[in-house]
Amino acid sequence: MFKAIVSAETLSSALDSVSVLVDECKIHLEEEGLAIRAVDPANVGMVDLSLDAAAFESYEADGGLIGVDLSRLEDIAGMAESGQLIQLELDEETRKLQIQIDGLEYTLALIDPDSIRQEPDIPDLDLPAEVVLEGKDVNRSVKAADMVSDHIALGVDDAEEYFYVDAEGDTDDVHLELTEADLISLQVGPAHSLFSLDYLKDMNKAIPSDTEVTLELGEEFPIKMHFGFAEGQGQVTYMLAPRIQSD
Amino acid sequence: MRLDEYIEDLEPDEEAERRRLAKEKSYAITDHIAEFERKFDDALSGDTLVGSTAPSIFVGRSNYPDIPVGLLSPVGDEDAAEEYVTDDSWYRRGYAIDDVLQRRTGLLNSSKRANVDSPGIASRLAPSVADVWDGFVGVQREVAIADRPVDLEIGLDGKPDLGLDAGTDVATPRGPRATARSADLTENPHVPRPVKKTLEDDDWQAQGAMTYLYRRGFDVYEIDSILSAGALGQAENRRLVPTRWSITAVDDTVGQFLRGRIENAPSIDEVQVWENEYVGNRYWIVLAPGTWEFELVEMKAPGSIWNPDPHGDVWMASAAEGYEGRSGYVEETAGAYYAARLGVLEYLESIGRQAKCLVLREVSDDYWAPVGVWQVRESVRNAFEGEYGAAETFHDAVSAVATQLPISHARLRRKSELAAGLQSNLSAFGTN
Repeated sequence: MFKAIVSAETLSSALDSVSVLVDECKIHLEEEGLAIRAVDPANVGMVDLSLDAAAFESYEADGGLIGVDLSRLEDIAGMAESGQLIQLELDEETRKLQIQIDGLEYTLALIDPDSIRQEPDIPDLDLPAEVVLEGKDVNRSVKAADMVSDHIALGVDDAEEYFYVDAEGDTDDVHLELTEADLISLQVGPAHSLFSLDYLKDMNKAIPSDTEVTLELGEEFPIKMHFGFAEGQGQVTYMLAPRIQSD
Repeated sequence: MRLDEYIEDLEPDEEAERRRLAKEKSYAITDHIAEFERKFDDALSGDTLVGSTAPSIFVGRSNYPDIPVGLLSPVGDEDAAEEYVTDDSWYRRGYAIDDVLQRRTGLLNSSKRANVDSPGIASRLAPSVADVWDGFVGVQREVAIADRPVDLEIGLDGKPDLGLDAGTDVATPRGPRATARSADLTENPHVPRPVKKTLEDDDWQAQGAMTYLYRRGFDVYEIDSILSAGALGQAENRRLVPTRWSITAVDDTVGQFLRGRIENAPSIDEVQVWENEYVGNRYWIVLAPGTWEFELVEMKAPGSIWNPDPHGDVWMASAAEGYEGRSGYVEETAGAYYAARLGVLEYLESIGRQAKCLVLREVSDDYWAPVGVWQVRESVRNAFEGEYGAAETFHDAVSAVATQLPISHARLRRKSELAAGLQSNLSAFGTN
């Protein structure tokens, strides 16, 4: 059983943060809210999302699992005007999702969850550095790096105690240093890893500019990025594998 | 073989070869043109080229969609028409730049302008060349799908222009050109059965039909010409495709098919370096364990074609793709990217493995005239012969190869996505 009413913005934000990595995904319809976990086909980027029942106008679920085509569902959610509510109801018999937006009814065929790529385990990484900053600073870093290169180095100078962003291009360079005063918080530790901007650009699109983003970093280790959406009632964790420079 | 020994073994031969090539650099093409002119006068009866035979076609792209559609025929050397067709045999026979130019300039391009999907009145209602089998375009399409040169007569409009102008890396230098009025077949062309099948199935998407022909043993050269003539794909989509575009489309389509074949294959288990050199182009191919990732980096020496200033800097271009390929056309390296990628994928598919792959192409000033993108494809295809140099790590291999390049390792790292860092995946960090 699944029946929920949610604002168009909240639903779109949730779907957008997953669709940057995969075309289809499994959605867990838990009593306490929705949960999605997915990894891209290259096994490079992962997303772990939860949207609490409190983020919905109304929410009832009892632990079902559905598979959806994300771009379809995003298109439908996109039909709603800002501030409109979207009503979702699972028809258990036909295995279709009934979607209503102000009189518009859409019946969405679901995908067999078993045919969707297996959900990843969340690796338990002990990353030494933690940087908390505003979404707009992540955006600024990614945008500047993208002007010169296809990859970006993120690191923490543990002696001088600052977080830095480096991008080396064909001829031009970008460098940004943020000290503790520029950040919300900084836990120093040895960290330097190179990441593909293809992935980071997509992930960045899903990060609201006014949210707090927590980055966990290590030396040639995956980055973890945590942030909230829907007034903190939705949480996203991205994990991205680095480009290896050393061997 | 260890990589350092591999590189050491290469050097003496390659240096000698370079000197030889440099000596051979010749501009004797003008003599050749004079001879062509004589042969041409012999073959002309009034304004009709009789007893001619066309092994292939050329579709231009100027003024698209009203493009020049051409029949290529060797004038005065009809019996050897087969040898004028660009394909892998040119590499196998070790053609030098001169040989290629002689073949190319010995082919008369008799062309006529036609619209890509409505060359005649009949096709104007439902634009498509699917049913166009008469007139000049019809004859041209028959020649394209035949697997051997087709005898014909070509009616010319005026004298041909014998000027040799340098073409481009993809389109090839052009030989003499003439404006055609008409063309008539003087024999029934022979069309292989699989080509008949893709021709007749007008509900089959072009990509699937191209892949089918490749799997049936047709090389990309033959598929290029069939696609170019609009002889495969869904009927309503069939149109003439400029030769240059069709070459890239076929390399890309077949490459995607092969990438699909290896996407779940195990990885190679050691870092391999392969080298090949041909017509003033030197290729280094570094394969490393991991999931598919590909990059072509080109270095064009000052004084080579495309970088004519002899005192300038080495000109660089690069393009890359990750595990899932790329969605946009490459901004740099153009058709060479798809040709090199095809060569690598054919090798990986043949051994049933996937790998990360960096192709470095060094164009020396011995490359004085562009011979066409087939040169890239064949050089990469044929690089995987004999032994390779083995290295401990990808970055070790790149450092060793960098000592042989005309640029610094630092500059390579700035230009090359793979030399800067290889994409790892999450499973390396304890996830699945």
